[in-house]
Amino acid sequence: MLRITMRRVGLAIPILFGVSIIVFLLMNVLPGSPEAGLVGEDASAAERERIRDSLGLNDPLPIRYGSWLLNALQGDLGFSTQRQREVSDLLMQAWGNTAILATVSALFGLSVGLWLGYVAGTRRGKLVDKFVSVISLAGLSIPSFFLAIVLLAVFAGGLKMFPSGGATFDDGIGTALSSLVLPVFSGALVTLAITARVTRASIVDVYSADFVETLRAKGLNEFEVRMHILRNAISPVLTTSGVQIGALLGGSVLVETIFRWPGMGLLIFNAISARDLQVVQGATLLIAVTFVIINLLVDLLQAALDPRVRGALT
Amino acid sequence: MTIGAVGAFTARFAGNQTATALLGANKLRDDWNAAGLAVKSQSFGRETLSRFLENKLGVAASIVVVLLFLSAIFAPFLTPYDPLVGVPTDRLFNIGTPGHILGTDEQGRDMLARVLYGGRLSLLAGFIPTVVAAVVGTAIGVTAGMVRGAVGTVLMRFMDMLYAFPAILLAIAVGASLGPGLNNTIIAVTIVFVPPVARVAESATRRVVVQEFVEAAHLSGASKLRIARSQILPNVLNDIIVYASGLVGIAMLTAASLSFLGLGAAPPAPEWGYMLNSLRGSIYVAPLVVVVPGFFIFLTTVAFNLASDALREAMDSRL
Amino acid sequence: MMTPVTPIGGPTPLLELSNVSKEFVVHDAGKRATLSAVNQVSLSVKPGTTMGVVGESGCGKSTLARLIVGLHGMTGGEMSFDGAPLPKSGKRPAHVVKQMQMVFQDPSSALNPRATVGESIGFPLSVQGASRKVIAERVTQVISDVGLPANYAGNYPHQLSGGQRQRVNIARALALQPKLIVLDEAVSALDKSIQAQVLNLLKDLQEEYKLTYVFISHDLNVVEYMSDEVTVMYLGQVVERSPADRLYENPQHPYSRLLLSSIPSLDPAESTRDTAMDQGSGEIPSPINPPSGCRFRTRCPFAMDVCATESPEQVHAEPGHAVACHLFEEGVPEEVRLSA
Repeated sequence: MLRITMRRVGLAIPILFGVSIIVFLLMNVLPGSPEAGLVGEDASAAERERIRDSLGLNDPLPIRYGSWLLNALQGDLGFSTQRQREVSDLLMQAWGNTAILATVSALFGLSVGLWLGYVAGTRRGKLVDKFVSVISLAGLSIPSFFLAIVLLAVFAGGLKMFPSGGATFDDGIGTALSSLVLPVFSGALVTLAITARVTRASIVDVYSADFVETLRAKGLNEFEVRMHILRNAISPVLTTSGVQIGALLGGSVLVETIFRWPGMGLLIFNAISARDLQVVQGATLLIAVTFVIINLLVDLLQAALDPRVRGALT
Repeated sequence: MTIGAVGAFTARFAGNQTATALLGANKLRDDWNAAGLAVKSQSFGRETLSRFLENKLGVAASIVVVLLFLSAIFAPFLTPYDPLVGVPTDRLFNIGTPGHILGTDEQGRDMLARVLYGGRLSLLAGFIPTVVAAVVGTAIGVTAGMVRGAVGTVLMRFMDMLYAFPAILLAIAVGASLGPGLNNTIIAVTIVFVPPVARVAESATRRVVVQEFVEAAHLSGASKLRIARSQILPNVLNDIIVYASGLVGIAMLTAASLSFLGLGAAPPAPEWGYMLNSLRGSIYVAPLVVVVPGFFIFLTTVAFNLASDALREAMDSRL
Repeated sequence: MMTPVTPIGGPTPLLELSNVSKEFVVHDAGKRATLSAVNQVSLSVKPGTTMGVVGESGCGKSTLARLIVGLHGMTGGEMSFDGAPLPKSGKRPAHVVKQMQMVFQDPSSALNPRATVGESIGFPLSVQGASRKVIAERVTQVISDVGLPANYAGNYPHQLSGGQRQRVNIARALALQPKLIVLDEAVSALDKSIQAQVLNLLKDLQEEYKLTYVFISHDLNVVEYMSDEVTVMYLGQVVERSPADRLYENPQHPYSRLLLSSIPSLDPAESTRDTAMDQGSGEIPSPINPPSGCRFRTRCPFAMDVCATESPEQVHAEPGHAVACHLFEEGVPEEVRLSA
């Protein structure tokens, strides 16, 4: 197991490098001059050049990448022209909020999805199964931002059951929690749908396997049989869970914007509007790195739980 | 017992010389042929089609898809209004207002017209990235699967790095750096889709490449390119089409998301995602009108998802 | 080092292998290792005859087959076809490609599932630049040669039975009018009754088209039926070669005796059971780290000290019948040799 861990971590490092290169290239090579945010529309050519020089923008690309990376590793991700603060400052604040939202959404979506998928998989063809299929399909097809708008209008605006904006814990646990409900539901529905689908397919595979009959014949009670089925079916679900968490992190841009939740998503959205590329760069990098690490952990968890995966990875 | 059966029985126990004598192999061969085992040859396309048609839900979804296409193409004939120009005094009429069956938006533009013309943009944003990514991804994946060593590894590593981003985030990042505009959105979504397609193509290619018929093709003196085209590609296309068909719905959703964030088609273009954003503020004034573009995104996505699911089932349960 | 054995009299061999070796680099539990699949194999095949190659799985027969047709490159040794030497690896000249073809083992995976029978058979012709008319004629000819109705050309492999698919494989091998066909376990995947039919078909074709076969199989009965000469392989090496009938009547090498002692038979009189060999131990060593000297020594009840240090040379036990075993060099007592 240790060897697998070392190998996977070893594989992750070049990927992290690659991710940083891609983020850097996206923000610095493609059209849209980075100095535009700092300099007014009618600055002279000489002014522009001076600013570019001072920002090191006229250095060759690899050097710019290198210095950016070095700074990033030390925690310096640049300066936000829009908010006039260190990017890393902004990220630290926003990071916690996104983490809360993403974690709760993931827990909700994965657990309910798992449960629904299990129920559907074990009662294949019956009404419950069809019902879950419909929910999955709907969940996959509704854009999260649309759902968010509707929920916001109905529950926060119309019924006034939940607050309409992001609240912090300063406002009291109750308000904070209730302010989570709508954003979590909007974001997690897709996760729920996909998890339910994958779980159902996996359970159907396992359920009809011969060894389940053998377990029952050996006298195990239903609960124990259920546990066995789950343990065997869990692997593909784990795989998607990593991707789903990534989708939640990425989709945070949409959900947080609508609910004004002060997380990384909202940060990115505002930064894009203001062409504040340093912030976009830093936030994208942070989210991508988180995604890579989460996938790594999910892979290792899978290897720990499933001997077949372990064998395939050695 | 016929001669043939006795011969078969003996063959199991006494070695082939006795068996051959009993079987009179040549005679058996002629008998067999004469029995006329004429099997009707059906092409793969026809088999898939007949299986697809058995799935009623899939057929219904496909009909909806076709209707959407038609309504987008024939939009000018279906509505007299200009989707880009509105009458400011007629803003935010509710659904069912005579003359504006789906209401009007915040600038007085007819919603039905906006939706119909917007369908063109959504369909474009759904199909172009999928098709282009399918072509590029297949090329990359098949090459990587066939060419062992450095080239293949480098290609797939690069794909892995793109894959390491959550899809939406990558689309947003690319969209943000390219700037707003429908073209840029299409490019962004294409870039996001190439790695997953390449992965599917590569793993399918790896499975096919070790089959004996590929060795046989090498034996005929065929070049690698020829083998890729005639042996590998037809066997890999199945997996890719099944996978890519599911991408169309996601492409539309992603494009709508980017538009919603202001990265897509520039106003006053009637892109559905953008419409949701611009109408957002008016939700308490005319809620049902706000729902309209969102509903159409939903409907289109559902139809495409169902149709591609049905296609997947029809194509998968063979060979 | 094995010295190649020249066949006694007769025409020049169509195919000749001299000390051919093939090694693969593999990863064995995380470490790089060399797998010696074929080691110093020499054989020579006369035109119009069938050379049988027999041995258990892992003995290198399939690798040998692919070396002969050029799907693998040689790591060592020389090969010549029709008098002309063949390149060690890489693309072969077109005329060689046309004259040497192969029939594969698995009828299902040997045919492109997405190509019709006619397309699969015609593919080699198309690659070699034949016109459409020529391809159509040849395909029709060859389909009828293998005993299938002409209208099968439009069918797909999944519509055919295993035996029929194998006939298609044979037809494809015939398409370019080769002189030599390598058959790698060509009937092993078929039911016994179908096997007999296909084998007889092969014999008919050999006679009609003056074909030369290299017939590879693990099934001793089949090899005996088909072959004129037989080469016995063990763990990548040739251990014995002889005319087919002599091998089955009088196997010399301890491994050949072990193989032949395991043919079950209902008739006690036909029993080839060799009680002395029953004491041989079971497991085949790995080709990644083969035993030193004679590779069979770990399973040989007659193993001597010299067997671990020196690889045995081929020695003639009788004319045309060569054995690679230290027992057969001068100075070994008669009793040991004849204790069958």
